[in-house]
Amino acid sequence: MLTADPATIRHLLQLEGHSATELTALAKRAAELNHEPDRGPGHGPLAGKTLANLFFEDSTRTRLSFTRAAQRMGMHVLDLYAKSSSVSKGETLLDTARNVHAMGVDAIVVRCTPSGGPALLADHLDCSIINAGDGKHEHPTQGLLDLMTLLEHFKVGQTITGDELHGKRIAIVGDIDSSRVARSNIHALTTLGAHVVLIGPPKLVPETFLEITKHLDPPVGSVEIAHDLDAVLADLDAIMMLRVQFERHERDIIGPDYADKFGLNQARAAQLKPTAPVLHPGPINRDFELASAVADDPKRSLIMQQVSNGVVVRMAVLEKLLA
Amino acid sequence: MDQAPTKIVLRGGRVIDPASGFDASADILIEDGRIIEIQTKPGSLSGQHQPGSLLLDVEGCLVTPGLIDPHVHLREPSVGQLHTETIASGSRGAACGGFTTVCCMPNTSPALDCVDVLELVQQQATKAMLAGGSRVFAVVCATLGRKGAATVDFSALSDAGAVGFSDDGDAVAQDEVMAKVLREVKKVDRVFMQHCQDPVMTIGSVMNTSPTATRLGLIGWPPEAESTLLERDLKLNAEIGANYHAQHLSSRLSIAALREAQSAGQNATGEASPHHLLLTDEFCDGYNTQAKINPPLRSAEDVEALRTAIAQGVITVLATDHAPHPPQTKDTDFASAAFGTIGLECALPLYAQALIETGVLNWPQMLAMMTINPARLVGLDDRGFGTLQVGGTADITIIDPEMKWKIDPNAFHSPCNNSMFAGFSVKSRAVATIVAGRLVHGEEALMGRNRPTGSATSDQTPISHA
Repeated sequence: MLTADPATIRHLLQLEGHSATELTALAKRAAELNHEPDRGPGHGPLAGKTLANLFFEDSTRTRLSFTRAAQRMGMHVLDLYAKSSSVSKGETLLDTARNVHAMGVDAIVVRCTPSGGPALLADHLDCSIINAGDGKHEHPTQGLLDLMTLLEHFKVGQTITGDELHGKRIAIVGDIDSSRVARSNIHALTTLGAHVVLIGPPKLVPETFLEITKHLDPPVGSVEIAHDLDAVLADLDAIMMLRVQFERHERDIIGPDYADKFGLNQARAAQLKPTAPVLHPGPINRDFELASAVADDPKRSLIMQQVSNGVVVRMAVLEKLLA
Repeated sequence: MDQAPTKIVLRGGRVIDPASGFDASADILIEDGRIIEIQTKPGSLSGQHQPGSLLLDVEGCLVTPGLIDPHVHLREPSVGQLHTETIASGSRGAACGGFTTVCCMPNTSPALDCVDVLELVQQQATKAMLAGGSRVFAVVCATLGRKGAATVDFSALSDAGAVGFSDDGDAVAQDEVMAKVLREVKKVDRVFMQHCQDPVMTIGSVMNTSPTATRLGLIGWPPEAESTLLERDLKLNAEIGANYHAQHLSSRLSIAALREAQSAGQNATGEASPHHLLLTDEFCDGYNTQAKINPPLRSAEDVEALRTAIAQGVITVLATDHAPHPPQTKDTDFASAAFGTIGLECALPLYAQALIETGVLNWPQMLAMMTINPARLVGLDDRGFGTLQVGGTADITIIDPEMKWKIDPNAFHSPCNNSMFAGFSVKSRAVATIVAGRLVHGEEALMGRNRPTGSATSDQTPISHA
């Protein structure tokens, strides 16, 4: 593993730039893996390979989900906790990753505050780098699991075709500007032909998002911005609520009336099409951006499917990068 | 350089002196550091070519007053900091890029805010020039430690040779401090150079507010951060009337403000840098840290507006903002990376690419922005710099306008190689530089152009020491 040819090393740094074919194939493969049995510790197609989780920001489900995915593929898993590491002694992201890599790992899953941090590691290390969220940039495996969940929800036959989201209006609601989940979803959904409606207060949804997919070729999907959630609810085919990231903001930018204007409560959920599902990447600020009654409504909420799909999507990613 | 001839004849070049409007094929005789004769009659100076003198055939080249860069960072003194550049290396690089004079900025360590530090810089500058570098003059701080509060001793620094005042890298943010600085600068009849950046609007900012910044998830730097501070300054200065200069302008909003102040009769000038005249924020894509610069690369509309402002005479000075940084400060994530790019050894062809190859300016017009205009800005025109005059100082740059080459920052004299222009193909080059009558750069570049004369030898030497 230390003599790998850099040219053959594969990374997952972002969803931007991935084709519809690639994205669909990953979602389909993940759906197949759903039916594969768990072979038990140390057994699986990637047995003998090692994954290191490098999380420089807090995470519960993403780290656990990667660990679970790696275990089901038969991999060993190492965990680095930023707060107990030399990062807190001033070591740089790159130096920390270099050290972990030198211990002999095949893939590093990294979550970090700087946008572009995983790309930096990919430039310097000869092992696979998987972005588990970098600053405001992207969270590609979250984008993939959201995509898979929507494709599964809208599929007509037994298997995903990749055409399921063509022409669908899918809203992403909340602090779009700070959200790496939003960016990964915008790229994946527009690539598969969806019309994405970004909803939130003007400060959290800057106009520059209208041009975020301008380089898409061909430009199958589209992006639009709305600041009035109530005005667009009835036309939506799906709605993704984002967690309000209080830790990234002064409280005043969110505003005291945020939940009144942009929270998805039962009254608003009732205005959605009966078939329109609700998604949330978690963790939920319950009864703030999303009412518990909606989050826990099995006819409406796909939140638990998102979590379980997260494991198989990450298995599919590990397989694609490392097998 | 020990054996350097004191007499040089430049034969057959196109002599351009923007200050006087002279533009003709002419020969120039240089002796003991001065221009002795400028002769438009071809070959008439050949008789001056004597044993021990140097005859340079510069046919096809432009012969211009030595280029002046009023905005470079030479990082000396640098107590307690990484050694990224010295006055010696910077001035040597400047000479090789065609600059005979540069003005260094005061964001040093300690800050260049008192006569003691100024004298140290001047001593290093004298040594550097003797060793084959350009002249180096110092722009000093406007406030102590560049902290934007207590002001420096303007008259002592001015008397000791400071050519301008600036807290470059930081704007003087407080209105009352700014007003005081402008009044003091006016008293000593120097220029104040502002780094226009509103500190509050740029907290955490790393690149232009743009679709690219949004896509990369990087914090935007709005163009208003530059223009609102410039507008504030111009409003304050409307009543004070100091010589005010806006450094490295990047945004079309700023151009509008500057144009308006100039129309109202203010002595306000502006400068532009190679990167802002050629590249847009999209160059940051892929987290290209070499493209990280302060102020940031802007949109295509801004690039166009800067070029138009130059065509219309709103921006009259070109400056590199040469900023060396060691590799590890660029080899990191975009938000953590240092701002800045080195510029001295590749600025000339980049300006030509932005302004001449696009038809915005012709050579005499562009050279004015690199010679007499910056000389006037920092008061060096009174001392004979920025022009070619018989009897005047022989600071001369010889430019081959057709030479094509590829930029390789590893070949530059700076210990740092942080250039956003690495690998760019450019046209035109300063092939020789004469500082105080001495050829300090150009022997190799002129190889093959000059044949030995005055003796029967068939040896091809780059320069004929007859």
